[in-house]
Amino acid sequence: MMGKTIVITSGKGGVGKTTTTANIGAALAMRDHRVVVIDTDIGLRNLDVIMGLENRIVYDLVNVIEGKCRIRQAMIQDKHGLELYLIPAAQTRDKDSIEPAQLRELCAGLEQEYDYILIDCPAGIERGFKNATAAAQEAIIVTTPEVASVRDADRVVGLLEASDLHRPRLIINRISADMVRRGDMMSQRDVKSLLAIEVLGLVPADERTISAANRGVPVVHDARSSAGAAFLRIAARIDGEEVPIQEISPRPGVFNKLRDMMGMKGRAYSHA
Amino acid sequence: MRELLRWLLGLSDKNTQTSSEIARERLRLVLIQDRIELAPDMMQQMKQEILEVVSRYMVVEEDFVEFEVRRLEDLVMLVSNIEVKDVSVLMAAPAQ
Repeated sequence: MMGKTIVITSGKGGVGKTTTTANIGAALAMRDHRVVVIDTDIGLRNLDVIMGLENRIVYDLVNVIEGKCRIRQAMIQDKHGLELYLIPAAQTRDKDSIEPAQLRELCAGLEQEYDYILIDCPAGIERGFKNATAAAQEAIIVTTPEVASVRDADRVVGLLEASDLHRPRLIINRISADMVRRGDMMSQRDVKSLLAIEVLGLVPADERTISAANRGVPVVHDARSSAGAAFLRIAARIDGEEVPIQEISPRPGVFNKLRDMMGMKGRAYSHA
Repeated sequence: MRELLRWLLGLSDKNTQTSSEIARERLRLVLIQDRIELAPDMMQQMKQEILEVVSRYMVVEEDFVEFEVRRLEDLVMLVSNIEVKDVSVLMAAPAQ
């Protein structure tokens, strides 16, 4: 079976692309797939620290493309012994160090041997974005339920269409059900109706995602994390499994109950 | 008096609009504007087609045609200015 290259992009920075890449990569590997994740954020690499592999870097993506090393030499295996490999970005170079066609060629080679190649795209829509998207057959757009990231996501949908990456799928990250319930955050339904693209998954805001990043262990390894569970479901969907989109429900709490009884501001949080 | 009471209690329409509703509405308008501005080819084609239709009824100055997307509070409008040079075509048209 030929592998598939998927780019994870967003337009806006800071919405969780790198965390999403690390978690989907780990989750797919936990499903017994052979996975390569590539950090294309040349000059501002971070996928290595999110995966806890920053001390093992010898060669990077630019070294591979310039022929300074063999591709296997730049691939760092995941700490948990999964069939998951990271190709880190170069830190002291810039986005112009590689050409879109070179990355496409690299991924085409990897597709012969691996099931999934995930590309962590840099923020922005310039050279780095063009490099990352040129190499992929499918695209995942990450957004948060905030005006700035939804707007940028819409722009990226248009750009992907123009570059023949049709039907990108959407991950809505960092949904706070409590805020949605209070009417202080757009719901997944609001975001979906504005962007009109297929939703691949909903990820709740979860403090465990941050503590996992502190440790350099993707949150899918944390069985108690709701965000981790969401990434596992997303990986199953990518893998072609029919998993219904699970709603993110508010935390039950005395205060919330009290508020409901008093009929304060909280609107019913309806789910699609 | 009743209005005042409602206002004081923060129940007027403006105040009961949640921030997520405001976000949704602002985004809706911004996305319309962005999508129009980011599709110059489509705009050019539409401009041509509108000109063709108008030209059937009057003589217009093709070099003086303006299309512009404008925001007016909660509306997004497509505003067009077309200079009419001659209406004799229109006058020559047989009455219904």
